[in-house]
Amino acid sequence: MRLALKLLIRDWRGGELTLLLAALIIAVGTVTTITLFVDRLQQALLLESASFIAADRVISSSRPIQPELLTRADEYGLSRTATVSFLSMVFSEERAQLAAVKAVDTGYPLRGKLIIADEPFGAGRPAAVGPKPGSVWMESRLFPSLDTRPGASVDVGAMTLPIAHVLLKEPDRGGGFDTVAPRVIMHLSDVGGTEIIQPGSRVTYRYLFSGAETQLQAWEASVRPDLPADTRLYGVKEGAEEIGDALSKAERFLLLGGLLGVVLAGVAIALAANRYAHRHFDHVAILKTLGATPARIDQIYLVIFIGLGLVATLSGAGLGLLVQAGVAEVLRPLLPVALPAPSAKPIVLGLTTGMVCLLSFALPPLLTLRNADPVRVIRRDLETANPSSLVAYGFGGFGTFGLMWWYSQDLRLTLLLFIGGLVAVVILGMLALLLVRSGRQVGLQAGSAWRLAIAGLQRRQLESALQILAFGLALMLLLTLFLVRTSLLSEWQNQIPADAPNHFAMNILPDERGDIRAFLDAAKVSVTPEYPMIRGRITELNEVLITELTNKAGSERRAPRLSSTRNLTATAVLPKDNKILSGAWFSPTSEVSEVSVEAEFAQSNGLDLGDELVFEIEGRPLTALVTSIRSVAWDNLQPNFYLIFSPQMLQDFPSTFMTSFYLNGDQKALLSPLLRQFPTMTVLEVDALIEQIRTIVAQVTLAVEFMLVLILLSGAMVLLASIQASLDERMKQFVILRTLGASNQLVRTSLAMEFAVLGAFAGLLAALGAELTVYGLEREIFDLDYSPSPWLWALGPILGAGLISVIGMLATRRVLDQSPVSVLRALA
Amino acid sequence: MIKTTDICKIVDTSEGSLVILEGITLEINQGQSVAIVGASGSGKTTLLSLLAGLDSPTQGTIILGGDQNITLMSEAQRAKLRGAMVGFVFQTFQLLSSLTALENVMLPGELRGDAGAGDNATRLLERVGLGHRLTHYPRQLSGGEQQRVAIARAFASNPKILFADEPTGNLDAKTGSKIIDLLFDLNADFGTTLVLVTHDARLAGRCERSILIEAGQLVTEAGDVSRAIA
Repeated sequence: MRLALKLLIRDWRGGELTLLLAALIIAVGTVTTITLFVDRLQQALLLESASFIAADRVISSSRPIQPELLTRADEYGLSRTATVSFLSMVFSEERAQLAAVKAVDTGYPLRGKLIIADEPFGAGRPAAVGPKPGSVWMESRLFPSLDTRPGASVDVGAMTLPIAHVLLKEPDRGGGFDTVAPRVIMHLSDVGGTEIIQPGSRVTYRYLFSGAETQLQAWEASVRPDLPADTRLYGVKEGAEEIGDALSKAERFLLLGGLLGVVLAGVAIALAANRYAHRHFDHVAILKTLGATPARIDQIYLVIFIGLGLVATLSGAGLGLLVQAGVAEVLRPLLPVALPAPSAKPIVLGLTTGMVCLLSFALPPLLTLRNADPVRVIRRDLETANPSSLVAYGFGGFGTFGLMWWYSQDLRLTLLLFIGGLVAVVILGMLALLLVRSGRQVGLQAGSAWRLAIAGLQRRQLESALQILAFGLALMLLLTLFLVRTSLLSEWQNQIPADAPNHFAMNILPDERGDIRAFLDAAKVSVTPEYPMIRGRITELNEVLITELTNKAGSERRAPRLSSTRNLTATAVLPKDNKILSGAWFSPTSEVSEVSVEAEFAQSNGLDLGDELVFEIEGRPLTALVTSIRSVAWDNLQPNFYLIFSPQMLQDFPSTFMTSFYLNGDQKALLSPLLRQFPTMTVLEVDALIEQIRTIVAQVTLAVEFMLVLILLSGAMVLLASIQASLDERMKQFVILRTLGASNQLVRTSLAMEFAVLGAFAGLLAALGAELTVYGLEREIFDLDYSPSPWLWALGPILGAGLISVIGMLATRRVLDQSPVSVLRALA
Repeated sequence: MIKTTDICKIVDTSEGSLVILEGITLEINQGQSVAIVGASGSGKTTLLSLLAGLDSPTQGTIILGGDQNITLMSEAQRAKLRGAMVGFVFQTFQLLSSLTALENVMLPGELRGDAGAGDNATRLLERVGLGHRLTHYPRQLSGGEQQRVAIARAFASNPKILFADEPTGNLDAKTGSKIIDLLFDLNADFGTTLVLVTHDARLAGRCERSILIEAGQLVTEAGDVSRAIA
């Protein structure tokens, strides 16, 4: 034990451990930094996005739920409040308007803020609390519709209530078109007085909860089994479709980055440990001649390993803590929310990851040291045994798989990456060998730097192939992450372009269409094409009455039901972000009545191409043939429809129209005159929502970019470790050349070329690997549209050649400047 | 002290089996100094590694210290035996590059768990004239100095037998002869049995006995050393 510790300290002093220790510390440091920062950012994101549902968890039901279920939240230390929503006519002295009334209890909202103003469409400020009992707040657009002003009173059911404020924004308003009616909010205690809620009224009760995530989960597990079947318990990811998808994808990306970070760190550790073991074979042989038994060797290197592990994991975790604190501090002005303090979990995760990395990647090469043959001390010509073995690879593979699974908690993602990685290693390895074998030349070819470089690569075929493989894998992982990141970011940016419509106008009467367009054109507001919109429902499927059909979606609470009344439209142009999955979009020449059905709706209701549907619209039947199935991007904040008819089909029905337009901050004041002039029109403002989504996407983007930088650092570490690993062999050769009179220039140029060729080959393989991996990831994991990146095939080799020759020359510069004798001595 | 009976060493190569040593039977007495000589590739280094228990013969027996049959021992048992009774000096010195001169000489004692390993090593280094170089690393020492450290290390375990493989092979004539003097002085002081492989006629001439190996076979004992080395 004491001897082992002494050897450890002496090795450290002698510089033998520097690279291995650096690889370990950076590995643990990177993993801890990533985990810590991602954990804090995730906490912040969840807090920020929780404002989308005004809580961390919501129970939604059409009936009040048992009080016992609510009070149970108190046992878990959760905060709670409640809202009750219903539609009701609201009356001013002059006019009446259907409004979406929401009665809120004290404490609402638990997450996010209510934004109010003193004038309709005026400048907003956050409100500390919701409306007081005996008053209402109303959305801006209701004022022109009701021809009233703040301070006046409105009648809600049996109560007359003064309008205390203008409501600009409520956190859980959402962007759905189900909530088109303008909002009125009031205090929950006034609901009874309105006498609106009667048996049979359509009312939505929402119970809001917030608290620490662990408490929430415990409470959720306890309460979920006791909830009635028609209630929903959801968090932000299920509750807010507009950002749920972006959040899940960002999480998956960060996870992927973390996984790749672990793998890169593992490779760096394995390479450094291999080199350490390689250099120690002779040491062990000497120790054996001095009487050390194999068991003693194991003992010595186990102590060295544990010592190294402790130093590396502790300093790595410390480094990670410092770096992420630094990064958080630097990014603080850019982050829209304060980052919560880091929890202990990521530190434990980082430490464990470090130890598992060590066990899987560093221990196996060290344990092969016991096999060093003592005859090596005399027979220097003996082949240097390769410390790697199948067992070592097995260990590494097992460790990687375990870590990936533990990290992601997602077997599918882990299997996909792991098997993909194995296949890539085998195929890339064979290709690398093929590359270095082609055009074998005889001799050292010392005449020119170029030929010397190529001959050098070919002479060490297996080593060169392995190096190309290691470089190639590191580059591949970096390129993969970069490509996925680029696709993700562009998807998020495309989701809401800068000039995306942020207001929707509905209930436009046919004879007002021209006037409204003229009004907006005059104000230089760009308007999207109009859609006819009419309510209707399906009554027959293939000549069978819907009432006689079993609803196949019965078990899925959220599945769209076949028989519900829906918004229907007709158009000749496939709407933006809709994709035909089967069948064909309406042909202009077709004379058949056609309908295009959204894919999820079709699937959950068993609809297929060629089905004949009968609709009831305004009391009249309309028959149409299903001719296409479509996917819809529900999160694009555009008008989206389950059912679209071929053009002209709705001509004979008294439909209204809807359109959308973009208003900037200055144009916002147009809404008041617009609504006064066209009081029947409904305008839905989604600008606040879009702003909210942009904030979150910006945060997520930042996290993704940060992850990429960290992984780049890990990748550089792998490259450095693998160059270091091959240094001894190269140096020996170049010392011989220098001794024989080769100029320093020839040696340098040839070395640079050798690295450049290695790098170019590695880059080529990386491009191939990355293209395939990205294809798999984007299709299977991220639900993105894959498009090939031809530039990768040029970038890969150039990047590889540049990176590796620069790192290689930097790593060898010091040695090249020394005299041949001192290099030989250092290698001895 | 060392007794071998009919030892053979055969290795498998891609072109079939290769006999390196064949039918070697010899006996070396306690305190004797013996030179193993022969042309390059004759098998003398292989013989040394077999005698020292660094390698195992394909057949035959080797007995060290009167009763220790090392051909029946496992690598772990042989390692223990080496630690207890054998010292080594190598042509390429074989010092651990990350350890200082003192630490290199302390190693055998430390492996045995001797509390006084440091004092013993300091004494030995002073004895070989390197008292002022205790904290130097191998790369900071000349070839002759490195070999002196190696000799000090070889005697640090107070061995009964010292094996030396071309101890002057990497040194110039002047340094080589100093090393030879040192080796024989210490050998006399410690009463060690010395077995060495050499090409150096002066060195072989200092030994009491010479064993000539040719093409893997023992040709002559105590014979014409100059012929063997020519």
